[in-house]
Amino acid sequence: MAETMTASVPETQRTAAKAFYFNTAAHLMRITRQKANTLAEFLAALNECPEDSIFQHSFRTLQEHHFIRQGFSNDFAQWALSSCKEPRLGEQLSGVDVREFTSIADLRQRFISIVSDFLQTNPDAGAKAAQETFYFCASDVVVIPTHFVANTMHEFGEGIRSVSIHSIHHHFIEARLRLKLMSNDFSQWLHEDMGLTATARAVNQIDIYTGTLEDVRNQIVRIVERALTMGGD
Amino acid sequence: MATAKEMVNAPFQEPAVKPESVAAAPLPIARPERRKTPRTWETPPAPVPPAPLDHYRSIVGDADIEELRFLARDVAGKTVKMVNSTAVGGGVAEILNRLIPLLGELEVKTHWDVITGGNDFFEVTKAFHNALHGAPYELTREAQEVFLMHNEQNRQRMEFNEDVVVIHDPQPAALIRSKSDKNRWVWRCHIDLSNPNPQVWGFLRPFVEQFDAAIFSSQSFARQLPIPQYLFYPCIDPLSEKNKDLDETFVQKVCDEFGVDRKRPIVTQVSRFDRLKDPVGVVQAFKMAKKYVDCQLVLAGGGASDDPEGAIVLKEVREVAGDDPDIIILDLPPWCALEINALQRASTLIIQKSIKEGFGLTVTEALWKGKPTIAGAVGGIPNQVIDKLTGALVHSVEGCAYQIRYLLTHPDFADQLGRNGHEHVKENFLMTTNIRRWLLLFRILLHGSGKA
Repeated sequence: MAETMTASVPETQRTAAKAFYFNTAAHLMRITRQKANTLAEFLAALNECPEDSIFQHSFRTLQEHHFIRQGFSNDFAQWALSSCKEPRLGEQLSGVDVREFTSIADLRQRFISIVSDFLQTNPDAGAKAAQETFYFCASDVVVIPTHFVANTMHEFGEGIRSVSIHSIHHHFIEARLRLKLMSNDFSQWLHEDMGLTATARAVNQIDIYTGTLEDVRNQIVRIVERALTMGGD
Repeated sequence: MATAKEMVNAPFQEPAVKPESVAAAPLPIARPERRKTPRTWETPPAPVPPAPLDHYRSIVGDADIEELRFLARDVAGKTVKMVNSTAVGGGVAEILNRLIPLLGELEVKTHWDVITGGNDFFEVTKAFHNALHGAPYELTREAQEVFLMHNEQNRQRMEFNEDVVVIHDPQPAALIRSKSDKNRWVWRCHIDLSNPNPQVWGFLRPFVEQFDAAIFSSQSFARQLPIPQYLFYPCIDPLSEKNKDLDETFVQKVCDEFGVDRKRPIVTQVSRFDRLKDPVGVVQAFKMAKKYVDCQLVLAGGGASDDPEGAIVLKEVREVAGDDPDIIILDLPPWCALEINALQRASTLIIQKSIKEGFGLTVTEALWKGKPTIAGAVGGIPNQVIDKLTGALVHSVEGCAYQIRYLLTHPDFADQLGRNGHEHVKENFLMTTNIRRWLLLFRILLHGSGKA
């Protein structure tokens, strides 16, 4: 009987196996001991800085600068371009997509390898003084709840529309460090608790580097609305 | 506006015939008649009381305010003491006047104490302040004794029973001797310590190292210390007179009074007449740019009436400006916040061509108003102006002149910078973000951080 009733209800009208609790994260920036005035010092600091610093200047900076549509992907790339005047290195660093990494250690190695390779082919660039010092910072993070809970796709859409950009960043971008998966909290819930695999995949494919976080929110809303209209994936 | 009174201010220079070589517009320009004495007040108006937290909803959104309330739950009922050296005047007092009621609304009861001291104490602390900014200074045993004696007197007079004690700037730093296991102490340093006098810093450092944490306004101001150092950017209050939205008729009225023609591009720098703000360089850059683009320059500042050096700088600016009728120089008293706000809102571009700068809150104000901003790459300005993304950074008069020309002739790009700048301030440099940082710090000091 239960199976018959479930079958008659569109997938998007079902109640989720588990509720989605919208949280958010608040970050307090700490100033660390590492700083760099040249690319050689920068490479040394990349090796020594705490993992929190790599997180701050890659994942977290996307939240601080969420409103910029183009030309900004992480603090390292911005510094290489604007203060070291090394556009090739800037482009290579900005090409690092944080969503391809589920561990900060791997992300750090990627940045180190780009800068090392650049300095091997451009040894004179290592000692050139940058226009501005790069100060390595880090974040202390506190996760806080919000009022929003979703048991259905409709409630999920409402939550996405209503939560802050910080919450979107927390669930959509930072999440993979927690999940250790190439996914995000929204897609995980859509797939595992709503059974909407294609919708989950569509959300996971949203490009975070060509739009703002507000654009990301709007794209998720559109995907959810489309699923609601179609009654399923 | 009803209390406005006439006050003689900057002498008005009658417009002279503009030399052919600097005339960019081919047709004669009809200029509004400029008042000979800009309208100001004789005495400062009463301060406007700070707005309650819910008034910020329309600016940052419901979700951000709700997040503050959630964040405050963990520290509700805790008590905080803020200690500084002055109750009125100065940036710290201004910040505390707005911060403390908002923390109170979030049930973090915050008490504000001001240390007392004689002229000898404040002479020493003024000298310390300048020395920490890098000025030469010979630290004497007598100065150390004066500093310690007044700190000790204040320490005996005050009680420190709160959960968190926040000491602002160096003047009360030696109160740390009252630190116990029962509470956490934070040193909030508002000044630039990037190049301190070694004697003074060497004297203060042992006190600073006893705190549980220190807070600086910029990464570059921090020192190597054995305690955690946090970054709290200075902030602006979007509901203050300096930054709130203004009625268009008021903006027009202010421009009319000051002889600013809103039909033509307006380039503005708001700053004290201080060499470190390079007002002469701004006039030079404007004159270079005006050969190619029609525009007016407004230099709105103060400091000439109460600061002898300010008067000299103002005279230099007037000399460089010469008889150009498109250069409008306004020496305003510090309580003309609404007029400054109106001038910023009327501007096409805003410049802050500082040679040395603390954080540069006039830049924050300009960005908040969505204005394309050209600024010197010094102090805390690069934290706000990300070159080509939230504004334009410059290093010279020539660079400034080029950016004026470029942004006036590429309005779409200029608008994009303005929009990004506004969002940057909304995310990072508003009073509500500052409240969030304080709540987080209290939470971390009292309960530790809960990592994602």
